[in-house]
Amino acid sequence: MTSAVSSSVPRAQKTWTYPPLIRPQTLLIALALLGFLLATGRDVEMGRMVRMTGEAIWATAGGKVDSQVARGLGRIGPSLFPLQMSERQEISRIEGFDRSHLPWLSHLEVVETPIQVLNPDTLRMESRPERVEYLVKPLGYLGHVAVKLWETLEIALWGTVLAILLSAPLAFFSAANLTPSRIAYVAARGTVSFLRAIPELVSALFLVLAYGFGPIAGVLALALHAAGFLGKFYAEDIENADPKPQEALVAIGANRLKVLRFAILPQVLPQYIAYTLYVLDRNFRMATVIGLVGAGGIGQELKGRFDMYNYHHVGTILAGIFLAVFVIDQFAARLRRRFL
Amino acid sequence: MTLVRDKHIAFDGIGKRFADGTQALDGVTFNVRRGAFCVLLGPSGSGKSTLLRAVNGLTSPSQGEVRIDGQPITAQSLPSVRRRVSMIHQHFGLVDRASVAENMIGGALAAIPTWRALSGLYPLPFKRKACDLLATVGLEPDHLRRPAGALSGGQRQRVGIARALMLDPEIIIADEPVASLDPKVSRDTLNLLRQAAQARGVTVLCSLHQVDLALEFADQIVALRQGRIVHDGPPAALSGSAVARFYDASLQPMESRA
Repeated sequence: MTSAVSSSVPRAQKTWTYPPLIRPQTLLIALALLGFLLATGRDVEMGRMVRMTGEAIWATAGGKVDSQVARGLGRIGPSLFPLQMSERQEISRIEGFDRSHLPWLSHLEVVETPIQVLNPDTLRMESRPERVEYLVKPLGYLGHVAVKLWETLEIALWGTVLAILLSAPLAFFSAANLTPSRIAYVAARGTVSFLRAIPELVSALFLVLAYGFGPIAGVLALALHAAGFLGKFYAEDIENADPKPQEALVAIGANRLKVLRFAILPQVLPQYIAYTLYVLDRNFRMATVIGLVGAGGIGQELKGRFDMYNYHHVGTILAGIFLAVFVIDQFAARLRRRFL
Repeated sequence: MTLVRDKHIAFDGIGKRFADGTQALDGVTFNVRRGAFCVLLGPSGSGKSTLLRAVNGLTSPSQGEVRIDGQPITAQSLPSVRRRVSMIHQHFGLVDRASVAENMIGGALAAIPTWRALSGLYPLPFKRKACDLLATVGLEPDHLRRPAGALSGGQRQRVGIARALMLDPEIIIADEPVASLDPKVSRDTLNLLRQAAQARGVTVLCSLHQVDLALEFADQIVALRQGRIVHDGPPAALSGSAVARFYDASLQPMESRA
């Protein structure tokens, strides 16, 4: 009797308590994380960043404070405007120039500049006006930027196409549930990590040495990095696909490739489209960057103009890049809505 | 000779111990006659699924062997076994995002060359067969293009049955085919499965946990409890026995009866 009571007492003491918001362990981890962030934040000068940004905002708002940031940005910003739209060319340098057939929307402009010329009779320097005739295309540079942007888009597109082709076999071998052998799995995973570890800019530097200036180096640099990215994500989706339909097909004698095609691919396709669109978007942005090292596209133009201090041109290029990224984003969002 | 042929599937002392030490099956021995509708009856965890999966090699027993027409199932015979044995699943085993048509071709993959399967150039006879079978199970032509996930549970299991018939199997194993369906649809689905199997002389091995459905559809009921056979015989032998009462009592809370 007494033993029954005593054994039932501890059981009764087990009460129902709803889990608290924060457990002691969680609090400890959060504190440790905070300390880590503070320590690393000091190393990357986050304090100075906040102070300088604050000063800049204060200065811009009219505060009486000297801000290095505001001065710097104040000098660069306006120098981009007005955006360069037109393009002019000396007609004496245009081969087979036909005055009666000017290109569309263009007109001629004459600029007279006084130049010092040595008069052979008097052996004195004389000031004489020199007439230089220019062909002016009011939207010429805009057209040039558009062509370069299109070229960049082509580089990004082919970088993506090659990345898909490269990553498909890599994903097959680096998915634990499809890979035919452990060795293939490790090799594929290693390759994928390696490709992802090398930034486009770095591989572009080497590829420009190998393939020369131009889009080939750009396309390959983008493809290699994106293949590492896609290979990893494709493989992880394959591993996470619902196993029940796969088992159903294995049960009736389908091989690995057939299981991949019939049970896995339909499940993962929407996600694949999302990844691939992201890669296309990213490749376009990276294509502008790797152009800086001579791998073709708008980046090459940007670098050239920047080095020549043509900031109005730089402004036009930046605006063009922004516009293109925005358009691609809209296009991708539309495609995603269709497939997801 | 006739005796051997009569035993279409023979389970001989099947035991299965999983890596975690669970004894799922223990000395299970029984035979299934050709063309029979054999129901494995038992509550969850009684070893029904494990036993079914031993027939097409999805699990291999730790003791004993399964023989089909006297031939034991081995790694060598597995491909030919899987071609003759098809399967119906509790959660249908369909790819919800793929069309019904694609899911149907999935049932014939063992007989379609890989390059044809990958390229989508499926042999015409299989495409025709997919349509015919879908008509047989009572679906409409416009279901073909719909994703399997857009169908109702009953319709999905009809696709599952039709898919299981794609390669004219000798044996269909059905793992709780009606567990995720409501009672009326369950009855219709089992009716369909039984008729389809009878018309083609297919042996069906079907696991269920509802005693009433087992009594209604089975030619043979094998009842399992904790991995051991507690009953093997025709439905008449089960009804009214202690075993039936045991299952009814144990399953009462799970059934949606008033």
